Amino acid sequence: MRLLKFAAVSALSLTAALALTACGQGSATKEAAAPDGKSVVRYMNFSSNDGHEKDLTAIVNAFQTANPDITVQVETVPYADYFTKLQTAVAGGTAADAFELNYENFVTYASNGSLAELKNVDSSTYKKTLYDAFNSGGKQYGVPESFSNVVLFYNKAMFKQAGVAEPTADWTWKDEQAAAAKLTNKATKTWGDYQPVSYNEFYKVLAQNGGEFLNADRTEATFNSPQGVEAAKFLVGKVGKTMPTEADGAGTPDFDSKLFKSGKLAMWHTGIWMFSALDGVKFDWDVVVEPGNTQKASAMFANGLVVNAASKNADAAQKWITYLASSDETTKTRLASSWELPPVADETKLKSYLDQPKPANREAVFTALEAPVLPPVIERQQEMQDAVTQELTAAAAGRKTVEKALADAQSKVNGLLKK
Amino acid sequence: MSTPTLTRPKAQQVERPTTTHRSTGWKKLGWVLFFLLPSAIPLFVFTLVPMVSSLWVSLHKWNLISPMQWVGLDNYTNLLTDPMTRRVFLHTLIYVAGYLPLVYAGGLGLALVLNQRLKGRAFLRATYFLPVVTSWVVVALVWKWLLNPANGLVNQVLGFFGVPGPGWWTDPHWALPAVILSSAWKDLGFVMVILLAGLQAIPSDVREAALVDGANAWQRFWRITLPLLSPSTFFVVVISLINGFQVFDQVYVMTGGGPSGSSQVVVGQIYDLTFRYGRAGEASALSWILFAVILVITAFQIRGQRRWVHYA
Amino acid sequence: MRRLWLYAAVLAGAAIMLFPFLWTVITSITPEGSLADGPTLIVHNPTLDAYRALMDAVPIWRILVNSLLIAIASTLFQLVTGSMAAYGFARLHFPLKNVIFGCYLATLMVPLQVLVVPLFIEMKTLNLQDTYFALLAPTIASAFGVFLLRQAVTAVPAELDEAATIDGAGHLRIFTTIVLPLIRPALATVAVFAFMGSWNSFLWPLVVIRSPEFMTLPLGLSTVQGQFTTQWDVVMAGSVVSIVPIAVVYLLAQRHIIAGVAHTGIK
Repeated sequence: MRLLKFAAVSALSLTAALALTACGQGSATKEAAAPDGKSVVRYMNFSSNDGHEKDLTAIVNAFQTANPDITVQVETVPYADYFTKLQTAVAGGTAADAFELNYENFVTYASNGSLAELKNVDSSTYKKTLYDAFNSGGKQYGVPESFSNVVLFYNKAMFKQAGVAEPTADWTWKDEQAAAAKLTNKATKTWGDYQPVSYNEFYKVLAQNGGEFLNADRTEATFNSPQGVEAAKFLVGKVGKTMPTEADGAGTPDFDSKLFKSGKLAMWHTGIWMFSALDGVKFDWDVVVEPGNTQKASAMFANGLVVNAASKNADAAQKWITYLASSDETTKTRLASSWELPPVADETKLKSYLDQPKPANREAVFTALEAPVLPPVIERQQEMQDAVTQELTAAAAGRKTVEKALADAQSKVNGLLKK
Repeated sequence: MSTPTLTRPKAQQVERPTTTHRSTGWKKLGWVLFFLLPSAIPLFVFTLVPMVSSLWVSLHKWNLISPMQWVGLDNYTNLLTDPMTRRVFLHTLIYVAGYLPLVYAGGLGLALVLNQRLKGRAFLRATYFLPVVTSWVVVALVWKWLLNPANGLVNQVLGFFGVPGPGWWTDPHWALPAVILSSAWKDLGFVMVILLAGLQAIPSDVREAALVDGANAWQRFWRITLPLLSPSTFFVVVISLINGFQVFDQVYVMTGGGPSGSSQVVVGQIYDLTFRYGRAGEASALSWILFAVILVITAFQIRGQRRWVHYA
Repeated sequence: MRRLWLYAAVLAGAAIMLFPFLWTVITSITPEGSLADGPTLIVHNPTLDAYRALMDAVPIWRILVNSLLIAIASTLFQLVTGSMAAYGFARLHFPLKNVIFGCYLATLMVPLQVLVVPLFIEMKTLNLQDTYFALLAPTIASAFGVFLLRQAVTAVPAELDEAATIDGAGHLRIFTTIVLPLIRPALATVAVFAFMGSWNSFLWPLVVIRSPEFMTLPLGLSTVQGQFTTQWDVVMAGSVVSIVPIAVVYLLAQRHIIAGVAHTGIK
């Protein structure tokens, strides 16, 4: 009984306390009492989460020193929840002045009028392919912020032990398959290769085989071609032969990185963002440009920076994002902290990246850029990615033939393009 | 103080088993408002109002980031003719049909056992409750490992008895059963706690009386415990059905709706439509279809309760 | 003999129930603990590094206090609003009672995923987004609690109210001195679930909170998962930090469940 009275009294006093204090908004929402001529730019991002918060703060501080009339207020949200939060904020009209978008999502936001057009950007500082990626319908809606690409990681010790020649930049799929077969030993659960069966890998192997995912004006899917079938067979054919299956654990979080780190995976198709994660491994490893089939093609992922169409501080916001994208301060910070690479055109600025010790063949990161392939994007991006991945997974599990899976995937994607 | 003398005879005159006979008219309304408004106001403002807004959203095409477009009932007609809708409802129905009997039988058994004077009873109860509070991320990882088709504990045990274990979450036919098993396991403690509270409320003299009458354990269970537990059972069944039809977290983290969409459920589809596919209007429409289904089922239960729920 | 078997079975079951939690704890104290190898119960070189990393990554005390405050407030509110409504539905007679109760239950039937956006826009309109109040608001009352408590109140013999009425007690006195003490087990149960619901809530805080000083525990823990890699030892340390308080709440509530019955002794 006393407990209940206590509960009632506490609830009442809490109500009173709440009425007085709890309706006060937080630091990020209260309009900062900016003195005349000063403006506050709110910036939302995901890429600094989990490890690079301090690097972003350093860039913010440098920017604020150079632009004393602008204050940048950073809000960092983990990638997994970023788009949920961003969409709700846009719906509620509370989205930040400037925010980060990956290339795949950029098209959706640009074509829905959520972004402000950027004016008078000095395009010469950016790598051209990356700069153009953030152009939609002839209007520049964003600047590239960073990029990363995918290379072939390999365990030198395993190659040596098995007496297999190490991969070179001239390797083709055949060389990779032959080496993977020799390096796989199911009894000891060591695997020759790992490449996820997914949309991201498929459009790349398709390009490596000279196929096109969409037609030129992006109105129709064209990946169900002889090249496409061959590419999908290459990818799907690895599962269970030289590559672990779902039941072996493939697809569970961090399965691949753990497998590679524990010395049980010889070749690994993954992004250069893994360099820092491999810091303390005991064996020697290196990277090389991914093998192609009829041609070379390396996946490139880009993040861009955009200004909210509803922002009242669009000019200050643009100043901030161009600084964050291309200033020397940013370039230095990114390279020093092995963050994703800055999109600058002047490659001499990237030199310090090559000087770092591991992996020895860092040059491969830039060689891969000579034949980049960006993800094919449509307005209903996520649905397309899900549909293609689902069909390929079904083929990998043997529930469908590769031919049937690709045909089904293509008709689904065409359906998405029509609506 | 003349009040007691005034009330007493009045109360004795009216021999109805209720306590409301004194209050009439405005005074009665005053009491109703006094007891209900503290919950009714927040529920109205923070749940019913958003519900009505979502009904409005369901009549539009909306991707959250650009203005809404009126489409009338198109979202509903499209959903009702889309085979995907039928699939996700079927999966949800299978889930509920598998989950509910498992979790109720298991929870009841546990509650009965842990209501006895066992050594370390408090600790045991807390242990069985632990999965309820553990996050689905962790539970899903454990169960994916236990149900691993190749070397999981469950299939090893089955193999020991000569039964070939299924592919569980890698097999379209077994992904849902895998989700059902792990959900029932996780929620055993939930049902146990509710039924324990119900068991505690059964007056001990009732049971003692039955003992004196010479009823055996089985008879006591069927004739006394189960009927007296029926209000709690009713609660568990109604709530489990309401929650079961909205199953999401475990599917999302265990199978992601796969393989090949074979375990996609209604709320999984609603989540994808809202936050991943930019089709919030259809998501709202789908959730109102779900609402209608749950409402009808719950209404039937509430009407049917007179037949089997015994209130004191 | 049968009792012994039963006891053994219950213990074995308990071990299975305890296992995921143990695994969580063990991963959190294993150097570079990972989940890829499958569960293990052996720890080599236990370390608290993951907990230190967690404290470096998030302002753990601040977010614990936030979560605790909101969860306690939400629990107290639900106990008061829920028990009052339960009494109203179980003991008062008024027109449309079943319809109104149906409306209460209906609030449980639309998934949160679809309510989040409208609710956020409503909060924005009221200019209450990014406040403590916004975190608390949707959990001030819950139909779940009302329903559970209503079932408990209906189980209280009406003769007790009768007797009190004869003694001149009004609704408020019957409610506080007769009904509430007798539904203590149910109140404790509601307290556990109310606390848990608020403590684990993720989607709503994610959407409505922007300022770091209002961050709650689940939001804070989500930030230790990167886009490409996850440090599982740190994630598991976070899980331990989030499980322990609810386990404590449950143990406290359980004591009240037992004490409640022992003291009231219904005749």
